[in-house]
Amino acid sequence: MTGLNLFQGFGDTILTVLKSVVPIVAFFVIFQLIYLRLPWRYLARIFFGVGLALAGVALFLQGVKAGFYPAGSEIGTFLGAIQAKWLLIPFGVAMGFLATFGEPAVRVLGYQVEKASGGSIRSSLILYGISVGVALFVGLGMARIVWGIPLNYIIVPGYILAVLLMFVSDKTAVAIAFDSGGVATGPMAVTFLLAVAVGITSSIEGRDPVADGFGLISLIALAPILFIMLTGLYLKIRLKRRGEQNGNG
Amino acid sequence: MLRVIKEITLEVFQAILPLTIGVIAINFLFIRMPAPVLIQFIFGAVMVIGGMILFLLGVRLGILPMGEAVGSELPKRRFVPYILAVAFLMGFSVTVAEPDVMVLSDQVNTVSGGSISNTLLVGVIAVGVGFFVAAAILRIILGFPITYMLAGGYIAIIILSFFAPPEFVPVAFDAGGVTTGPVTVPVILALGIGFSSVLAGRSTLSDGFGLIGLASIGPVIGVMLMGVILY
Repeated sequence: MTGLNLFQGFGDTILTVLKSVVPIVAFFVIFQLIYLRLPWRYLARIFFGVGLALAGVALFLQGVKAGFYPAGSEIGTFLGAIQAKWLLIPFGVAMGFLATFGEPAVRVLGYQVEKASGGSIRSSLILYGISVGVALFVGLGMARIVWGIPLNYIIVPGYILAVLLMFVSDKTAVAIAFDSGGVATGPMAVTFLLAVAVGITSSIEGRDPVADGFGLISLIALAPILFIMLTGLYLKIRLKRRGEQNGNG
Repeated sequence: MLRVIKEITLEVFQAILPLTIGVIAINFLFIRMPAPVLIQFIFGAVMVIGGMILFLLGVRLGILPMGEAVGSELPKRRFVPYILAVAFLMGFSVTVAEPDVMVLSDQVNTVSGGSISNTLLVGVIAVGVGFFVAAAILRIILGFPITYMLAGGYIAIIILSFFAPPEFVPVAFDAGGVTTGPVTVPVILALGIGFSSVLAGRSTLSDGFGLIGLASIGPVIGVMLMGVILY
């Protein structure tokens, strides 16, 4: 690659983005014509917003394509070529932590849980807990790539654990937990870590980039689900124990 | 308005900067990336930050109000098939507009050398979300416990994962993760909460929540089924 080509293929990006909003806009316009009949001023605001969102997505995707993919695959290729493959695991842990700790949605979830639990679960616990959880799972995801472990071996036990926890947890804890699956799968995780993972698999012999490179996002989504339910369960047990003590004394 | 812009800007910087700085640090400590790659990465990060700010602002101003307008109109009709059809279309159309879904399908398309097409993957993911959003609304109407539905969905995924071709399994699981993005989450939450607040006798809290969790099951099942059917 010589020189910068930040805007290579920008036309294609714009086209993709335009196509992506066709369904929602068409759907809204039909609703507007038949039922809603919102005032023009309001409509103008909405379409201004849609225009901003379109420009934003186009810029975002182009930045990802021109900046993140090449750097991600460069790092991935380098990591895949080093002799001491276990080094990928601490690398994954660090990247997973950095990607999650900054994620605003995780902080928002922390405040939600603090409120829902009446302050007995601190929001900082959620922030650190989920960040560490995701970090460990990304480490696990790296181990999977290094040794070629099928994703099923990790994710199926995880899902089974989630189902089991579901039946012993409170209804509210379950609902919050499953909704929180997406909090950590933010733009950095999806774009950059994915590119790194695919880069690694393409430089380790015997790994299939499709079968081994993907799967990281699903692990990142599973970590908060398990963590929130475990926290809820811990709180439930503690409350119950306290209740028993009060009952006895 | 100014406050919203400030809030969004702060959020985006918080989300993007730590890893960006991490990568630059790694570059100088361990891996020397070719200079153009590093420079493009830094410019790319600036574009990503700018793009995210514009996008989130646009979601607040345009896409979220669209979703809310349709969502608040929906429960006024009493005809259940109509409600379900609209819920399906809403789930479908917000997912098609989700940037994370575009990124994933783009990557899958590139990595698979074009054998799994972009449009098909986005379509299957969106149908999966639409189907499960409609199912979730039906659940609110019938008052069926959410735990059973989540458990049923997860068990179906576990079983399917043994039958789906191995190269589809990771992509399928990832598809469940990318649907919960900045467009889908607020619109679908608004739909669910608006809907259960209109129906008498339903707790907004426990009925409105859980929708996102259900919505992310659909794509996993959808992509696995696509694998089973196609290969």
